[in-house]
Amino acid sequence: MFVRRALPWFAMVAIVASSTVSPSSAVANDDPSFERDVAPILQRRCLECHGPNDSPNGPPKGKLSLSTWSAASLGGESGPAIVRGKPAESLLLEFVRHDADGKALMPKNREPLTPAEVATLERWIAAGTAWPENHVLRDRKFDGYRWWSLEPIVRPAVPEVAASADLPSANPVDRFIREKLQEKGLSPSREAAPAVLCRRLYYDLIGLPPTPEQIDAFVSAYRKGAENAYTALVDELLASPHYGERWARHWLDVVHFGETHGYDKDKPRENAWPYRDYVIRAFNEDRPYARFVEEQLAGDVLYPDTRDGNEALGFIAAGPWDLIGHAEVPETKTDGKIARHLDRDDMVTNTIQTFASLTVQCAQCHDHKFDPITQEDYYSLQAVFAAVDRTTRSYDVDPAVAKRRVELTSTIAAIGGRQQELEKEISRAAGDALPAIDREIAALSKSTAGSERKSEAYGYHSAISAQQDVVKWVQVDLGRSLALSAIALHPCRDNFNGIGDGFGFPLRYKVEISDDPNFKTGVVRPANYTEHDVPNPGILAQSAAAGGKSARYVRVTATKLAPRKNDFIFALAELTAIEADGKQATPQTGQAIHVTSLDTIEASPRWRRTNLVDGYYPGLEVVDPGKLAALTKRRAAIAAEAATPQQRLEATDLARRKASAEADLRKLRPQQSCYVAAVHTGTGAFRGTGPDGGRPRPIFVLARGNVSSPGKEVRPGTISAVRDLPSRFDLSPDANEAERRAALARWLVDRRNPLTWRSIVNRIWQYHFGRGIVETPNDFGRNGARPSHPELLDWLAAEFRDGGVFVDAQSIKSLHRLIVTSHAYRQISGQAAGGRGQREPESLKIAQSIDAENRLLWRANRRRLDAEALRDSVLVLGGKLDRTMYGPSFRDFVIDKPQHSPHYEYHLHDPNDPKSHRRSVYRFIVRSQPQPFMTTFDCADPSMQVDRRNESLSPLQALTLLNSGLTVTMAEHFAARLEATTSGTTANRIARGFYEASGRAPTAAELDELTKFAERHGLAAACRVLLNLNEFMFID
Amino acid sequence: MTQPTLNRRAMLQTLGNGFGGLALSAMFGGDEVRGADAKLVNGGLRGIPHFRPKAKRVVQLFMAGAASHIDLFDYKPDLVKHDGKPSDFGEKVEAFQNGLGPWMRPVWDFKPYGQCGKLLGEPVASLGDCVDEIAFVHNMVGKTGVHSQSTYLQATGFQTPGFPGMGCWISYGLGSLNDNLPTFVVLPDHRGFASNGPKNWDSAFLSAQHSGTVIYPGRNPPIADLVPSRGGTFINAGEEAEAQALLARLNGLHATARADDARLEARIRSYELAARMQLAAPEALDLSREPAHVLKLYGLDHGRTSFDAEINAVEETDYFARKCLVARRLLERGVRFVQIWSGNDNGFPRRNWDSHEDVRRDHGPLAQGMARGAVALIQDLRQRGLLDDTIILWTTEFGRMPSSQGGKGRDHNPYCFTNWLCGGGIRGGIAHGPSDQWGYKPADREHPTTVYDVHATILHLLGIDHERLTVRHNGIDRRLTDVHGHVIREIMA
Repeated sequence: MFVRRALPWFAMVAIVASSTVSPSSAVANDDPSFERDVAPILQRRCLECHGPNDSPNGPPKGKLSLSTWSAASLGGESGPAIVRGKPAESLLLEFVRHDADGKALMPKNREPLTPAEVATLERWIAAGTAWPENHVLRDRKFDGYRWWSLEPIVRPAVPEVAASADLPSANPVDRFIREKLQEKGLSPSREAAPAVLCRRLYYDLIGLPPTPEQIDAFVSAYRKGAENAYTALVDELLASPHYGERWARHWLDVVHFGETHGYDKDKPRENAWPYRDYVIRAFNEDRPYARFVEEQLAGDVLYPDTRDGNEALGFIAAGPWDLIGHAEVPETKTDGKIARHLDRDDMVTNTIQTFASLTVQCAQCHDHKFDPITQEDYYSLQAVFAAVDRTTRSYDVDPAVAKRRVELTSTIAAIGGRQQELEKEISRAAGDALPAIDREIAALSKSTAGSERKSEAYGYHSAISAQQDVVKWVQVDLGRSLALSAIALHPCRDNFNGIGDGFGFPLRYKVEISDDPNFKTGVVRPANYTEHDVPNPGILAQSAAAGGKSARYVRVTATKLAPRKNDFIFALAELTAIEADGKQATPQTGQAIHVTSLDTIEASPRWRRTNLVDGYYPGLEVVDPGKLAALTKRRAAIAAEAATPQQRLEATDLARRKASAEADLRKLRPQQSCYVAAVHTGTGAFRGTGPDGGRPRPIFVLARGNVSSPGKEVRPGTISAVRDLPSRFDLSPDANEAERRAALARWLVDRRNPLTWRSIVNRIWQYHFGRGIVETPNDFGRNGARPSHPELLDWLAAEFRDGGVFVDAQSIKSLHRLIVTSHAYRQISGQAAGGRGQREPESLKIAQSIDAENRLLWRANRRRLDAEALRDSVLVLGGKLDRTMYGPSFRDFVIDKPQHSPHYEYHLHDPNDPKSHRRSVYRFIVRSQPQPFMTTFDCADPSMQVDRRNESLSPLQALTLLNSGLTVTMAEHFAARLEATTSGTTANRIARGFYEASGRAPTAAELDELTKFAERHGLAAACRVLLNLNEFMFID
Repeated sequence: MTQPTLNRRAMLQTLGNGFGGLALSAMFGGDEVRGADAKLVNGGLRGIPHFRPKAKRVVQLFMAGAASHIDLFDYKPDLVKHDGKPSDFGEKVEAFQNGLGPWMRPVWDFKPYGQCGKLLGEPVASLGDCVDEIAFVHNMVGKTGVHSQSTYLQATGFQTPGFPGMGCWISYGLGSLNDNLPTFVVLPDHRGFASNGPKNWDSAFLSAQHSGTVIYPGRNPPIADLVPSRGGTFINAGEEAEAQALLARLNGLHATARADDARLEARIRSYELAARMQLAAPEALDLSREPAHVLKLYGLDHGRTSFDAEINAVEETDYFARKCLVARRLLERGVRFVQIWSGNDNGFPRRNWDSHEDVRRDHGPLAQGMARGAVALIQDLRQRGLLDDTIILWTTEFGRMPSSQGGKGRDHNPYCFTNWLCGGGIRGGIAHGPSDQWGYKPADREHPTTVYDVHATILHLLGIDHERLTVRHNGIDRRLTDVHGHVIREIMA
């Protein structure tokens, strides 16, 4: 593919020079200098492909390196590239010289060297080919690189365009637009009719249709004072909470937000929705853009202890995640490395594409082919995310609760500190007695030190039952079928509640093994105590012989539960399977033993299923519990005797206050959890960096993007092509990992970073007009589009960044206001759009012929409803839209096989389920199984960053809108609602329904046809037709 | 999102090349109908085919979970000789579940078939009847042993989600061969999707009409929303035609007043085409009119209505061969790309090819069913003259290890596996690219075959230069073969 480069600044000079200087006329004192003239040409134009053998771009193409004299003279596959003093024999010249069409063999697929450059090389070779020994050249193709999006934003002057009858607007947007139109001999179209404007604004700003009453009220206000009525409606809609719902959805497209992991075993993310709520809130609150960026990348460090600072981090975790590649494959394996590399790649891509509109991900295997982004830049961005994983984070939603939690925690710590001091005071008073007994206790405890941490982890504990004769089971998956000789059960000891040995051990139970996880087939039963009660074994292990039978699963079923004070439970500390050779069965490397159960209380760390196979059980320690208890008791007695009455009083008081604070802490509203990027602390294959104190993983430049070929280690940083900002972050090596993300956020929102500000104003513009000023909002690089109105883009970017007369600094709402109040926005969208029955004006035809695609905005663009607006409107017409905001997503599917690979069965969902009647932005978004209705209408694919949706038209859309459960159900509700609310004849009801669906009253002919149809086939059938009208689907 | 003006091409692109091409072409005088073949009806991309195609249609048979090459297609006498001895790969091997037990011989005996004498394992013996028409590729290599990434790679050419399936690219490039059925049809295993589910045939950045259309031949309706949902009790057949006519009139009035927007007319046409599919699809899926000898050919004459609980060959044949027969009917009616899946995701009891525990138990019935369906499809297409321009590709996620996993199963082998191709433009009776003595890696490690090569070859046979079928997305000119792929000339006729 041939890509046109920006014309280099030197090209003009060069063309002039080439006509006057020919190689043969070169004179000795005019010989090119290698350093000054030749090296820059080679470095800029050749070294990308013909670099040294260890080039980050891979080995030299055609085995030719031009990095040193010896390499160049040795040459490559085609022979020596440069022969000293002999231009005619130097292949280099043959390859770069132009043919008759001005093309050259090299550089491949790039603009050829200028004639002057070729001449320089020729003269240099002819003049003796000076190349200093050891002068190594490297790729410098990006030196002096100029590209529009990387140039600083210089606020352009607003064009002076004479006011005229068809441009009364003083809106600067119109002046920029008008200037371009005039250049092409075009003029703007007239303003659309008020009813059209009303419907356009409603859908654009809040994504919902106006009611006939809202349209009528606006039209009548507009007739009294168009400007006031219009701005009042704009302000009203921008203030509506539905505004945030509409515009958050655009943002969620870009950041590829989804609520399942994607890939294999596409598990749901139960708590990803707080990020979606954050985005809605941020739009509704008109969050200053810089803060919006900062919160999403580093809210935890820049805005700690705020709800938004936590939830916004869902941005980094928004994309897909390879569960199996993380949870079943450790980082030490190649597949595990690939999974984590791809994971960081998604974070880097999402960040730079979203905020800076560059395709940095192209620099993963080599320097970017088109944009000035080096491979090292790319990996320095990976280093920013080197410590985090996608995981769950807990936080307080209410800042007051967060504050209270901090207070209580510090109070408890302070009391604890005082308790220790007091202890020391008493200890001193007690003389030698206490230290002596402490030494005894320490000596006794030393032998159990290793099990201290685990002794917190009691075991498995079932849900609590009110009845004793309830069957409960817990089951261990050994990962593969093993020949087993015995199964050992270790009972619990609950020190926390002081209940003691044998806690929760069932009165009746059985032990079974099988290869069938459902224990339906091939079941062997090593133990069966279901007929009579068994005595409580204390902490004595209970063993059952398995006779060498092979099995993958071991299940313990309690048929009569252990009693507590008022209820019944089943608990076990450890289950050990012994293989035929006497070894304890252990998981395969990189795998965990999975424990499942009928139910569980999961109260970490003491009670959780995984404790059943953690290798710890009471009795494992060699400590003598009786002796320890005696010592502890004696120590308490000595201390009590030594303390003064005041000390005893204080101790009591401290204990009371501490207990009270702890009780208060427990009473606080529980913390919310959110799926975000954070330092993860896990076990097994997916351990994260938490166990290493959150220290970032080392990141290396990977040759060809291959995880098995790490090169140079990189520091955290970013793209170097933004000239005014340093590209590597100045952080101390032991800085907290979050500082890296904060540094990237600061780089993005720096007012000298031109990408960020151009990017966001272009996105906002696009959603209003259907096309951005730059048509490729995610790519401002050379493969992207050039801005159609570069001055307008920069003016908007500067006005938005700094604030001005028209836009409040970084206020997206005021940017909307500026854009939608422009005449450009208010124009008719084409023929007949201003009202019915008008002939197509001649000027329209002329405009069509000059700018058929309407790039210059001589009219507005008719828009098809997007998937969300369509579904929400169908619900509105059905009278069923539930406008409840925020909270967990609704699910319009049934999950089958949730334990293993969930199947999301949309066809089993009941479209009458009121829970699913909320706005589409609250839909639970599954990656592997896209929602059929939404997908048919081109909703965003949550697996890729969608900067602009496709707009397709297909017969499948027709089938969906005619026949889907949603539309037929809502057509019936639509009819029922019209019957209930609109009095009079069928014609009245049809007229009302038509107005609601299309935004206008039907003509007499339309009304007549629909009414007759309704009278023959029922109102519901007619409503189904209304839902399929083009006029419902398109907004003029 | 912007509105195209009245412009034939814009409108065709707007409606895309679903089964809509013919009507639009006819409406505009038919100059979008290219080539001498009147059945090649519509709007692929201008300039495509790049050169004379050898085939028009593709059937992809996809074995979910990773089918074992060494037990079915790639016979390794050394494994028989060294069966049970400790495995030694001569290098450090990273296996997915550390399945590096002793060498394990193929669990079935192999026998030679056809004039070429190709050795096939017992469960796929029925393919022996067609083996002289099949080209085997034994040196396929993958990138990882993770199911989801590998399924994506084989289905879309990329390891990560967000890329169009092969059928989507072909729909996008070539358009449709019919005017009443989808271009790209997917027949999933009815017991569940494979890894990644519908993302394997999603159109991603191509527009939605290029997605594979899922058909469940036994279900009602077999295609989502083909008929009104159960809730639509107010809709009756007589009314339906009248509703469509009314809708067309009302939409026509609206469009006439806005004649500068081609999308409005295109949308009216899309309803006509939908109505045509409502008639065509049930007919295409109705197997009841297939004669007894055809049902017998596909092994569907077993007379059983229920099956045993344990996995068994009769049942697997019924499932897979029935899809093959449906595929033949769809191909006959102009569907261009049919993807048939064998095996669901990795649930239990196992109904896929991921035989970690027991190759014989699961591969046996699955392979017998697959082979019976595949051979019937090949023979049936041949007798109808369709085999000459229909490519059949058999593929899977990756292979399985020549060592055992301690017991009767085999671990993942992304380093080597087998594909086979048959039909339009394929040279039969050959085995290309041998694997090494164990079936562990390609014999020539420097020159393996990749999915990019297979995709490039299929596109080539369809008349498409794989390097020139590109779409720019987020700044990158994307193609099915990424930046790789060489046409495998050796397997072409």
